Amino acid sequence: MQKIAPITKLALTIFVTIWSIVLQSLPALTALIVCQLILLVIAKVGSSIYKGIASLFVFAAILAGMQYAINNDIMLAAITASKMIAMTLVFFILLATTRMQDLSAALVLQCHIPYEYAFMLTAALRFIPDFLAESKAIQEAQACRGYSPQGNVLQRFFSYMAVIKPLVLKAVTKSETMALSLELRGFGSRKTRSFKNNVTLALQDYAMLLSMILFTSYLVIQIY
Amino acid sequence: MLELKNVYFSYKAQSHDIHDVSLRVNPGEFLAIVGRNGSGKTTLTRLMMTLKKPTKGELFFQGNSLANATPAKMAHHIGYVFQNPDRQIFHDTVAEEVAYGPKQIGCTPEQIQTFVTQALEVTGLSHLAATYPLSLSKGQKQRLTIASALAMQPKILILDEPTSGQDARERDQLLQLLLKLHQQGTTILLVTHDMEFLSSCAQRAIVMKKGQKVFDGTVAELFHDTNQLTDWGLIEPAALKISRQLASFQISQTTSITQLGNQIANLLRRNNDHAENSPHH
Amino acid sequence: MPAIALQNFSYAYNHPKKVLDNITISIEKGSFSVILGPSGAGKTTLCLAVAGAVPHYFGGSSAGKVYVAGIHTQESSMQQLALTVGTVLQDYETQLVTMTVEEEVAFSLENMGIVPEEITQRVEEVLAKVGLTGYEKQAVTDLSGGQKQRLVLASVLATNPKILVLDEPTSALDPEGTYSLYKLLSDLNQEHGITILVVEHDIATVLPYADQFILLENGQLILNGTPESVLSFMAKKQIFAEAIPPLWQLKLMIEELATRQFASWHTEEEAIIQLGKALDEEARKNA
Ligand SMILES: Nc1ncnc2c1ncn2[C@@H]1O[C@H](COP(=O)(O)OP(=O)(O)O)[C@@H](O)[C@H]1O
Ligand SMILES: Nc1ncnc2c1ncn2[C@@H]1O[C@H](COP(=O)(O)OP(=O)(O)O)[C@@H](O)[C@H]1O
Ligand SMILES: [Mg+2]
Ligand SMILES: [Mg+2]
Repeated sequence: MQKIAPITKLALTIFVTIWSIVLQSLPALTALIVCQLILLVIAKVGSSIYKGIASLFVFAAILAGMQYAINNDIMLAAITASKMIAMTLVFFILLATTRMQDLSAALVLQCHIPYEYAFMLTAALRFIPDFLAESKAIQEAQACRGYSPQGNVLQRFFSYMAVIKPLVLKAVTKSETMALSLELRGFGSRKTRSFKNNVTLALQDYAMLLSMILFTSYLVIQIY
Repeated sequence: MLELKNVYFSYKAQSHDIHDVSLRVNPGEFLAIVGRNGSGKTTLTRLMMTLKKPTKGELFFQGNSLANATPAKMAHHIGYVFQNPDRQIFHDTVAEEVAYGPKQIGCTPEQIQTFVTQALEVTGLSHLAATYPLSLSKGQKQRLTIASALAMQPKILILDEPTSGQDARERDQLLQLLLKLHQQGTTILLVTHDMEFLSSCAQRAIVMKKGQKVFDGTVAELFHDTNQLTDWGLIEPAALKISRQLASFQISQTTSITQLGNQIANLLRRNNDHAENSPHH
Repeated sequence: MPAIALQNFSYAYNHPKKVLDNITISIEKGSFSVILGPSGAGKTTLCLAVAGAVPHYFGGSSAGKVYVAGIHTQESSMQQLALTVGTVLQDYETQLVTMTVEEEVAFSLENMGIVPEEITQRVEEVLAKVGLTGYEKQAVTDLSGGQKQRLVLASVLATNPKILVLDEPTSALDPEGTYSLYKLLSDLNQEHGITILVVEHDIATVLPYADQFILLENGQLILNGTPESVLSFMAKKQIFAEAIPPLWQLKLMIEELATRQFASWHTEEEAIIQLGKALDEEARKNA
């Protein structure tokens, strides 16, 4: 899986999303999920990914339960949950098997997206964990000053300001510093930029792309 | 006052971030916690504040177990001064910022008024009460976080590496403030790398190494063994190192530059005629 | 030609107050210079002026000139200057933008358009230089503070800058980390002739390596010269005297009380040798 070019995996992500929307039968969706899980096993992803997937399943089950409670239709609930799992799993595959830098290289070289935008996309993903850690640190700091949100929705909202204000401020200063540091590291002179890793397509990429297109066409013909 | 009994803690399954630590913080003392980065100093203070619960062992405050305590409740007893003031400042004025803590713990408006005034006064921020907190200098922001903690009338004040990133002037002001608070009866627990700072204020020191407490004693005892200091990643204060090396000239050991300077100058001055004739360059 | 030269340089951010006021300094090639001064003095702004971020990134208004390796910064671009000046910001964690250690260093090289084969080799070399060999695949977020700092340094060194600017690089380090960072900077300075400009509050930690001190206060250059001259001046005029390191407080105190002069002290060892000699002579005279 890691040897497949990032652009192919990006295409896979798009196609799987389309399939998950188009497919309406539970066995077909289950097959799609099983195929994706097999791909993950082949790719030998780390245990943290499996933990993420486990929580995805739990979340989907809760979703299905809620839908069942509302509609009383077990089949519809199962299909909705499977669709959600099928769609989300493919992002796990993409993110677990593709290096951010290669993804942005592919976006720039093959999709002709300006490098700055591609970079911002990948950097945003990189900073999510930092942002969560910061939010936790702020909550701890405020807890030591007696912060503990309680009461009705409005009261809670006001007490959350103790966390939200410093967090927003931090996000703003952090993005400013990041923009500055990128300039200081010579980022932005696109003409001269190189990419360390090869992201061009190989035979297996063309084979995969072709079969994905064929399968999508077949599905579309079947339905309409 | 605050007691840890055989406390263990780990962030991840396989790590031993705090390993079998027992200690007692006595009322009115000035205690320093030192050790390398990653040795567990911050984690130890987070356990005291109940931000983390021990995986094994127990903590007590004034004889009561802290097993069910929360940080918001501990705020009555312990003031915690974090390293980064920007993680807590969110009001429009300095006075409102300081009033947040007492409000949260349910003080009356009169109490809040008194506590805020006192806290601003002791930290030298009274004249800045109406200022926008984020426009303060680095040192002032830090004193603001100290004032915010003091306004909750805590018995213990914990400070995590308060001197790092501060300039020499701010550091001196902090030293004076801590000495004053200590004199007024606040128990102080200081986490620091700054041995010069420590030797001018702390009475007792605890050394952490790889999650374990490897030393607990007076500051004089801490500096007793040079080899051990190196092993713990600590450096001797300059005065101590020099006075130790010059012991053969009847110079007694000291951590104070002034004392050492006077001792050496006295020896060199004894024969003043010679000193005056000696060539100047 | 000096590595860095400021000629009557003044600067204000988008605010009328002058943050740097008519500064003239010259820093020679191969120098290890330290900027001193209380917070708010303009130390960071001075670093940013050398890197070209002031005024290119921040705008504001400026007067006078800044030359870096002979280039007039205002007439150049930040990308161009990045080839000569490597900058480590005070908030160095935000300077790290990729997932893994290896990618971080490669990122700097990719920005310069270096060919892929050369990138691999340079990444390896520069990680070895800062002592991060073996961490290539490690996630940046899993590194300790000191390791992150060395990684920023590596990604800056990868482009072979002639000048390194570091703003308070030791504020998150313990004494051993501080010592090894300055040792590394000193090696780069001595062996590779890299000019170093660093902001540091704890003068004692840079005393063994520095050859020039630049003292700023309120945006003004108070004094610029050898460490000895600047420290003596600070003591005599009582300007930012709190920052004089204990070693020099001792030296200046004994010199005054016993009316004698010692040679320059850079380390405690030097002080012990000189004091030992003086006390020995004194003892013999009295005998
Ligand atoms: N949030 C965290 N998650 C996982 N490990 C942590 C976390 N915080 C600290 N640690 C680990 O716990 C140990 C002790 O850290 P800490 O208490 O911060 O040390 P100190 O304050 O002495 O530098 C270190 O090995 C550190 O890597
Ligand atoms: N981005 C900025 N915009 C406006 N004013 C600034 C900015 N950065 C710093 N200043 C102001 O410039 C002065 C000097 O700041 P700085 O160079 O950061 O000093 P130092 O690094 O010595 O602490 C301070 O008064 C500060 O408030
Ligand atoms: Mg810590
Ligand atoms: Mg600064």
